[in-house]
Amino acid sequence: MSRILIVAEHLDGALNTATARSVSCAKAIGGDIHVLVLAAEASAVAAEAAAIDGVGKVLTVTRPENAHALAAVLAPQIAAVAGSGYTHLLLPSTTFGKDVAPRVAALLGVAQVSDIMSVEGAQTFKRPIYAGNAIVTVEAPAGALIVGTVRTASYPAAAGGGSAPVEALSPDVALPSHTRFVGLAQGKTDRPDLQGAARVVSGGRALGSAEQFQLIYGLADKIGAAVGASRAAVDAGYAPNDLQVGQTGKIIAPELYIAIGISGAIQHLTGIKDAGTIVAINKDADAPIFEIADYGLVGDLFKLIPEFEQALG
Amino acid sequence: MLLGKQAIDDDANQTGQMLAALWDRPQATFASKVEVDGGVARVTREVDAGLETIEVDLPAVITSDLRLNEPRFIKLPDIMKAKAKPIETIELASLGVEPGDHLKTTHYAAPAKRSKGVMVKDVAELVAALKSKGLIR
Repeated sequence: MSRILIVAEHLDGALNTATARSVSCAKAIGGDIHVLVLAAEASAVAAEAAAIDGVGKVLTVTRPENAHALAAVLAPQIAAVAGSGYTHLLLPSTTFGKDVAPRVAALLGVAQVSDIMSVEGAQTFKRPIYAGNAIVTVEAPAGALIVGTVRTASYPAAAGGGSAPVEALSPDVALPSHTRFVGLAQGKTDRPDLQGAARVVSGGRALGSAEQFQLIYGLADKIGAAVGASRAAVDAGYAPNDLQVGQTGKIIAPELYIAIGISGAIQHLTGIKDAGTIVAINKDADAPIFEIADYGLVGDLFKLIPEFEQALG
Repeated sequence: MLLGKQAIDDDANQTGQMLAALWDRPQATFASKVEVDGGVARVTREVDAGLETIEVDLPAVITSDLRLNEPRFIKLPDIMKAKAKPIETIELASLGVEPGDHLKTTHYAAPAKRSKGVMVKDVAELVAALKSKGLIR
């Protein structure tokens, strides 16, 4: 039977939902599922992780060096725990998991399976390549420890209601001091988080300026949505980098995705393929976004967004 | 060592991080700004929560994100000059590295297609459709 270790992603004492999505992937593999929390103060995060359905045990490593998620500091600790008899190590395919997981895989001397979107067997997985334009099935040798990142848009968050025991560990690992945290500039917002939101309104280059991009925020607030952006809009400075949706940004799966002034390059479409319903508003009737949109509306966004808001009352 | 953050074909996003681990040096992935001051690099990273800044002792591995810089336009004379530059080839065997392919690719498939939806004629029709599906109130 598989023994699966998931590394919890957390910030400011709160667990990221990407962790519960990774648990769903682990359930597809089947076996004992443990969640590892590395933190300076782990109890709140550990309690949240213990409540995820399917989790058998939560392990904590509490050290002041773990106050910030630095890959060089976390990786040797994770490798020490994962190397103690686990068959699988999973991290979410977020910037956290993408940064940390390969470093652990290298320390353990194994290959990494990035962006697991489907479990075909304990050693066999499907993952997207070419910006999601092809799906490959990869197989790791029998008995090899699997280090993988989970494509979070492919898995729903596992439900709550569990009550797993929490166990403190103190792996005897020397930590490097060559990497130091300086600061994190977060766009403070009351809006839902882009990666977990049920509704997302995204704007593209056609918004034309950062001021006009505010129209997207206005509509998003009206329907309680998170805000996203195309790479073109971020590159042009209309929206901050953490709003970018697509191959090199965030891969999301909201119930409703409204793309406004986004033409729909394949690099963007790969980020929204798993959305429930896609709405596209664009002035170009031939824009590729209409090929995958459930509802398309051709017209001038500067006229249509106010109309949309008005229709919502 | 400077690398890109991920290849646009396999999107694996691993090489820089693995190199840093095997070299036992710091890594600063997804860099959008790099300032080098003596033996230290201060790197701003594009992370899900925003922009994170870390300091790493050099040498270190830095992987670039999209907005690190604007690639220079290459002039024709420079392209010609590039042809004359020496290219050194290092044999893998001379590095004492055991090459191995740990993962076997067994199938390639096309992704599931989303079917084309419907075009609506105006905002009223769109809002009515979204309301009837319970997606907005």
